[in-house]
Amino acid sequence: MKVRIRLFGALRDADANGYIELQVPEHCTIAELRELLRDHLRTHAPHISAGLVQRSAFASDDEILHNHRTLPENGQLAILPPVSGG
Amino acid sequence: MSDIYTAVVDIRETQLDPVAALDFVSDPRFGGIDMFIGKVREHNLGRLVTGISYDLFEPLALRTFEAIGERARREIGAPMKLYIAHAKGDLSLGEIAVIVAVGTPHRDEAFRACRLAIEAVKHEAPIWKQEHYVDGDSAWSEGCSLCEEHREAERAAPHGTKAHAHGHEH
Repeated sequence: MKVRIRLFGALRDADANGYIELQVPEHCTIAELRELLRDHLRTHAPHISAGLVQRSAFASDDEILHNHRTLPENGQLAILPPVSGG
Repeated sequence: MSDIYTAVVDIRETQLDPVAALDFVSDPRFGGIDMFIGKVREHNLGRLVTGISYDLFEPLALRTFEAIGERARREIGAPMKLYIAHAKGDLSLGEIAVIVAVGTPHRDEAFRACRLAIEAVKHEAPIWKQEHYVDGDSAWSEGCSLCEEHREAERAAPHGTKAHAHGHEH
């Protein structure tokens, strides 16, 4: 399936479109998606540190999706680097 | 009408409004009101700041604000009105970035709920701050990880002399 990952904060530097699309296996977990995204960035955005992806969380519009969760059916996700509001 | 108000305010359209916050949390039942206002300040970590850009993941930010409000209500166990608004976009020095206001019967509940809410907004809401400096440079602030596994690793690690409980200051 194809997933679209919206980018925020420092991760916006990974793609000027504001999102990254990846082809991933059905029933992929968030932990697996994290590895696939890291591989993608290593090739397409080598200036983004792997550590930043490691410290980031994935989310749907409604909630944070931890590593054991599977992808939402609509394939729409966001990756949230460490937060700094206020 | 709900007694929790949450908003993301696009700074190109309007400013955050402390008077609106005060109006919202005012109620004949409430003798105590506490309001926290966060503004863009001139210095950070020794560098001269000219402005801040805020990036937000709006749908989840609003849900997070609402969840924070429900948590504050459970925590203080008293009637309460709570207002949380955060700015989005490019702010100049002195402009308001965030307002948290609370009305409760007595001051203790208002102080506690306001403190809980602003700390939670800073640590849990999907919001990112990019500082712009007088020398033309810009940088995204170091922040709090929302990744469960990473947060657990930070909690387990010994902390130094920094005041903040998870390895960085903000």
